Amino acid sequence: MQKMIFIDYDKCIGCKTCETVCSLSHEGRVNPAQARISVVRYERLGINVPMMCQKCQDPVCMAVCPIKAITLDPALGTQIDYSRCVGCKMCILSCPIGGISLDPINKKTIMCDLCEGEPQCAKLCPEQAIEYIEVSLLPYRKRRDGVEKLETFLKEERK
Amino acid sequence: MNGYTDQILVVDLTNKNVRTISTQKYADRFVGGRGIAVKLAYELMPGGVNPLKPENPLIFMTGPLTGTLAPSSGRIDVIAKSPETSLLGGANAGGFFGPELKYAGYDGIVIVGEAASPVYLDIFNDDVTIRDGQHLWGNGVFDTVQMLRKGDEDVQVACIGPAGEKLVNLSGIAFSMRNYAARGGLGAVMGSKKLKAIAVRGTKGLDIAKADGLIGLVGGMQDRIKMMPSYQEYPEWHYKLFDILESDSKSFFGNYEDAAWTERFGAYENAKRFIKQAEFRRETCFACPLRCWAYINIKGIGGSSVAACQGTLTSLANFSKVNDFGKLWEAYLLCQDFGLDVSGTSAVVAFAMDLYSRGMLDDLWMQEPKLVYGNGNALVNLIRKIATREGLGNILAQGVKQASETIGKGSEERAVYSKGGLELWLMEIRPFKGTALSCAVTDSGSQNRATYGLCEFYYKSMKKQAEMVAKNLVGTEEAAIPTKYEHKPKLVAMYENLHILADSLGACSIPFMPVGLELWGQAFAAATGIETTPKALMLAAERIRTLERLFNIREGLTRKDDTIAERMFNEPLKDGAWKGEALNREKFEQMKDAYYALRGWDTEGKPKQETLEKLGLE
Repeated sequence: MQKMIFIDYDKCIGCKTCETVCSLSHEGRVNPAQARISVVRYERLGINVPMMCQKCQDPVCMAVCPIKAITLDPALGTQIDYSRCVGCKMCILSCPIGGISLDPINKKTIMCDLCEGEPQCAKLCPEQAIEYIEVSLLPYRKRRDGVEKLETFLKEERK
Repeated sequence: MNGYTDQILVVDLTNKNVRTISTQKYADRFVGGRGIAVKLAYELMPGGVNPLKPENPLIFMTGPLTGTLAPSSGRIDVIAKSPETSLLGGANAGGFFGPELKYAGYDGIVIVGEAASPVYLDIFNDDVTIRDGQHLWGNGVFDTVQMLRKGDEDVQVACIGPAGEKLVNLSGIAFSMRNYAARGGLGAVMGSKKLKAIAVRGTKGLDIAKADGLIGLVGGMQDRIKMMPSYQEYPEWHYKLFDILESDSKSFFGNYEDAAWTERFGAYENAKRFIKQAEFRRETCFACPLRCWAYINIKGIGGSSVAACQGTLTSLANFSKVNDFGKLWEAYLLCQDFGLDVSGTSAVVAFAMDLYSRGMLDDLWMQEPKLVYGNGNALVNLIRKIATREGLGNILAQGVKQASETIGKGSEERAVYSKGGLELWLMEIRPFKGTALSCAVTDSGSQNRATYGLCEFYYKSMKKQAEMVAKNLVGTEEAAIPTKYEHKPKLVAMYENLHILADSLGACSIPFMPVGLELWGQAFAAATGIETTPKALMLAAERIRTLERLFNIREGLTRKDDTIAERMFNEPLKDGAWKGEALNREKFEQMKDAYYALRGWDTEGKPKQETLEKLGLE
């Protein structure tokens, strides 16, 4: 049973609690620049989008890593062995969704490790915009959200 | 240090140099934020300086919780001597600037001196540079922030708009594109230093004493905030606030002469219709679950973030009696971009409209549009004139009190303001005796900095809760009744202490209350590694409050200055739920006596020697 982080962008209020708790639980200190998740913001448009590793089935980052520091865990997906990472940034360059960060202090690549199966960002997100769900539930959840949107739209139309 | 970065930047604009001082020696006694800021202001400034001269330092200070995981810990406090009141000027802002400053390695910034030509301060971790800001001067807040970000949205900016450049007393300091240290004319202080902006980016991070301890506390703190009765409703407050003010009988309209504007329900409906049709996204400040902000974009007018707050859209509507929401939104966008305090500006507009309707501005405003209540074009036009100091706007730019003194002809009697001349925040004051007392004894004239959320606020709509809070704080339910003078001094002192602690720790005063001091103390201990108790925190609040008092006394403040505009005593309410209410001078003075005694101040409002010794001041 594989689980994944499911982010509902419409629910995000841009509080950055996810970044803060991510750095605090991984580094023992607060530093969003060292977080594995980051909220991308467009202030002029009021848009906040949390971005992070999506745990690809066939990870490009793993394929391009020249020293095989990235491995695939059956339950937790891609994981980086920091003792091996040389900071070449190939994984960041090749990631199709911008899900990997560069730790400005240790100068190494950082990527979500799903907190050994208890993601702290999901636990403390005040809006449940970040949830940790069974991968198999994803299409169902998206479909249900789609229907809800359609419902609202139709109600507005009928008014 | 943990929780603190232990560095405060001192930027001397006259001599163009930057150095740092340690936070540590102040932290123990003054906590952080507002507490350390007032301590620095007291130390660095001689008494009696001209607020717009280089001798007036401008102090930005975060608290030990700012930028930590603690809910609502995005706050930063700003202090200088106010050009509007010539007393202590203080304002507190949320958003993301405070946390970013700490991640860059600084607890605060002290700006001293003044630059010869426009500059901005550029901070990236250890690189702190005073740069030429000529190209930014004249720009609105939105463009200034955009220009300084150069594409990196994580750069946080504190800046002034054209109103601050023109030394308008109603100008605030914007934190990026939404939050403001709005009140008291701090924007003008920044403008007088020709400091257009501070841009900060930090990637150094912040040390925390007990990471797991802090993580463990946060869920429970969030839960308490979510139990607030208003929590569920916050995203709708942008239009519901009108009804909430109404249900608490706090509304008034125009320049305090009308509690029952007949067209108000139409205006509320308009607001609801506009907001429902607009592009709308919920927003919040750093680490805060409250989401009292929203990004609203109204087609054909524009988009911006706005707080569901009595000081924003409701303020513009109720003061100017404009029911065209499109015009109100336009007015709001202008204030945000010009760098104006929305609440003070709307009060000044109402004052002008009142005078105009009495024929008292005949020689000062001869053009169209007519300055009458309800005229949206007049509202927008006047805001532009105030921000650019044009014509009548140049007089109004001083704020209600000073403007009335310039205009004369009896306009002084129409002016309504809090201590020192700061415009009152949007709510009827006469029936609310605790609020009135608070306006008079406050540090800065700013009631929402002192006692926002006082339980008498919501006595009409949530009687049970108000009574419960009053009983918990001062031992009797009666204290919650707005029109009672009894017990109010103690209630005010308690709320002031809690606000001071929120502003000093670096949390927001709205979620601060429901979380409770016990948990805040634990969060402080987890972040800093320094154990504390609610009692110790309250003692620190007492110390900070008395130091604020000493600051104002040094500026010449006496007992008689602890008051609000005469009209609130002389002119009983003509209509509405509180018909006939006004402030009773004798009972008001008795409240002051009791308040001074609680603070350990003498009957003149001067801290007693024994109080100073107990608090370890001077």
